[in-house]
Amino acid sequence: SISFIEDFSDFGQGELSSYSSRACQNLESLLNKNMRIRMTDGRTLVGLFLCTDRDCNIILGSAQEFLKSSDSFSQGEPRVLGLAMIPGHHVVSIEVESDSLVSKQGFGSNH
Amino acid sequence: MVMKSSVEDDDVGWGLGVPEKMRNNANWVDITHEFKGACKGLSNGSVFSRFGLFEAMSAIEMMDPKMDAGMIGNQVNRKVLNFEQAVKDGAIRVRDLSLPELIGIMDTCFCCLITWLEGHSLAQTVFTCLYVHNPDLIEDPALKAFTLGILKVCDIAREKVNKAAVFEEEDFQAMTYGFKMANNVTDLRVTGMLKDVEDELQRRVKVHAYYCLHHPLTCELTTGHQQCLALFSRIKFTRLLLTALIAFTKKETSSVSEAQKLMQQAADLLPALRSSIEHGIQSQNDTTKGDHPIMMGFEPLVNQRLLPPTFPRYAKIIKREEMVNYFSKLIDRIKTVCEIINTTNLHGILDFFCEFSEQSPCVLSRSLLQTTFLIDNKKVFGTQPMQDMIKDALRYFVSPPVLSSKCCLYNNHQAKDYIDSFVAHCSRPFCSLIQIHGHNRARQRDKLGHILEEFATLQDEAEKVDAALHSLLMKLEPQRQHLACLGTWILYHNLRIMIQYLLSGFELELYSMHEYYYIYWYLSEFLYAWLMSTLSRADSSQMAEERLLEEQQKGRSSKKTKKKKKARPLSREITMSQAYQNMCAGMYKTMIALDMDGKVRKPQFELDSEQVRYEHRFAPFNSVVTPPPVHYVQFKEMSDLKKYSPPPQSADLYMAASKHFQQAKLILENVPSPDPEVNRILKVAKPNIVVMKLLAGGHKKETKVLPEFDFSTHKYFPVVKII
Repeated sequence: SISFIEDFSDFGQGELSSYSSRACQNLESLLNKNMRIRMTDGRTLVGLFLCTDRDCNIILGSAQEFLKSSDSFSQGEPRVLGLAMIPGHHVVSIEVESDSLVSKQGFGSNH
Repeated sequence: MVMKSSVEDDDVGWGLGVPEKMRNNANWVDITHEFKGACKGLSNGSVFSRFGLFEAMSAIEMMDPKMDAGMIGNQVNRKVLNFEQAVKDGAIRVRDLSLPELIGIMDTCFCCLITWLEGHSLAQTVFTCLYVHNPDLIEDPALKAFTLGILKVCDIAREKVNKAAVFEEEDFQAMTYGFKMANNVTDLRVTGMLKDVEDELQRRVKVHAYYCLHHPLTCELTTGHQQCLALFSRIKFTRLLLTALIAFTKKETSSVSEAQKLMQQAADLLPALRSSIEHGIQSQNDTTKGDHPIMMGFEPLVNQRLLPPTFPRYAKIIKREEMVNYFSKLIDRIKTVCEIINTTNLHGILDFFCEFSEQSPCVLSRSLLQTTFLIDNKKVFGTQPMQDMIKDALRYFVSPPVLSSKCCLYNNHQAKDYIDSFVAHCSRPFCSLIQIHGHNRARQRDKLGHILEEFATLQDEAEKVDAALHSLLMKLEPQRQHLACLGTWILYHNLRIMIQYLLSGFELELYSMHEYYYIYWYLSEFLYAWLMSTLSRADSSQMAEERLLEEQQKGRSSKKTKKKKKARPLSREITMSQAYQNMCAGMYKTMIALDMDGKVRKPQFELDSEQVRYEHRFAPFNSVVTPPPVHYVQFKEMSDLKKYSPPPQSADLYMAASKHFQQAKLILENVPSPDPEVNRILKVAKPNIVVMKLLAGGHKKETKVLPEFDFSTHKYFPVVKII
């Protein structure tokens, strides 16, 4: 189930609100899909996209942490984290599986 | 059965198949730019899916040092290597280790072992030592034998603690994280290896001593000699500790005595250990993050990825200076545990468990006590069925005719059925009670409250069986009675549990000052009163049986039996109960008087209700039938001072309190061979007598400063201090 909250102070700003609702729909369409995020310190988290906000803080569910492949001895074995929040300013890249991109107008429509 | 997942990669724990997705880059599409853009368009809102409260509570914030355990590995500049890598890299050596290195490593290992026994995880203690991950790779014979010994000690300790099941998460971390605990080597082989190293070291020490004897001038200041001895002591200590633990795994009680001897020998080595700690190399400071110092051969972060996400980062390993003290106390506790085999009656055993628990012993010693008492086959000390012990306890306490060989009921088929069935039903609750006394003090209180329900059921059954046996007996031997024998015994245990439950609340500092009065009231006016009458009823029952036996023997033996004044078996317990009752009565009256003088701080908020607090404190007693719980309204009636005319003033109550403390003092001073408990109570009774007299005389009546209650001498009865 999906919910959406918007601050009503911005309501009625015509173009902005229609942009934001389209952006929302695109984001909503990604909810509960697998997402892979690279962080500023080189670690990668993979989990279910559960939540984000204006500052691009992201919450992943059933998150697993992968170290840099150049790391000493982890050999790609993940560390299980559960629910994890990545602050927006530590997000370097965001990837989803190509199957998750349904809409032609949404994300990845240029790919 | 494991559900077959769609991914064949079985190395991943839960078969989520994510690593495969990780590596397969073709599937992933980068949407960073669009995503961030879309977020900006969210103005002040957010987009979220549903996740539960429980999950949310355990969520972690990445890149926050307090929450993100994975971060540290990124922040230390040193490479975190595991054992095999470290050996390959040359970062640690598996041969040609110097004596100081060996001593330092072993001492640090001992400290890790102790830290683990104190409740930390293996991953952050013993297994931060790289050597224990794979002793097969070690070539130095001393270190190899030692690490195997440590692993065996851990394995046996863990097994004992798990089996005894008297731990909670705050006591002990049982997880082994899949670490190998030297299972490919037998216990005997490991003790053998340790002995070989010991013998070799002893030879070296002797050779050196011989050399020094004959060459006093050229002999060096024997540092090498001291270090050799130091290593020898550590190896021997490890062997003794391991052998003692192995002895505990044997089923015979003779091995318990053996364990006690071994522990004494280990204790004898402690001075040598203590004086040689300085020879071991010290840890080096990790300059990268100002973090904890790193000891050669240890890597605190080596198991980081095995830990759950919100685990505290470092377990603080105890210092080497404290190591010997800890071992000394641990050995004392284990030696005490071995004494249990000298107690053969159930009540004695219960008392032993209670006393042992009072010193708040460690989880290992508590577990060893449990598994020594009730071995695998559920027999006491492996030999006696619990039910026989219960019958003996009944005989000792209340001498029920049905269990007396001189009574016709003894061989009566129906009577035997009744009593055997009752005793069988007693078995589990009493085993549970003994297990409860093996838990830590806080958990014990909680569980004592719960077991009252089982004892209430037993009480019910006891009454029915008593009635049935009594009516049987009336028909067969009218001069004998079987009134409330079993009931009295169960009631005795009920009361003991209830009293322990209330008293431990003082020890655990659960009560507020304004609650003391009703707790002490319940104890002195109610529970101890019942206990006194129960004990004297049991005593009378015993005497009745004894008289009967004497009369039966009078006819037979012509010799006049010497009338020896033997102390009655329950006399000491009756005396102590009287003393406790007086102490509680003294405290109760003290609190009432202090309240009258406005010296007790009470909660003053609108929704406050003393009744709610009272009912909560005594809630576990609601399942007990005998004695029936005293509800708040009834308590208020029973304790109402207005029913006296004239109603007592605070001065009268202080005097009454003083007299109670005086009475307790008199009783205790007449106890033959007083134990430490008697002396502790006296140390509280004596000053309280004086303080109460002063207060009765109006001392400091006007002061607004509240009195202090000092529980440092006795955890149940405070010395009242007027500032």
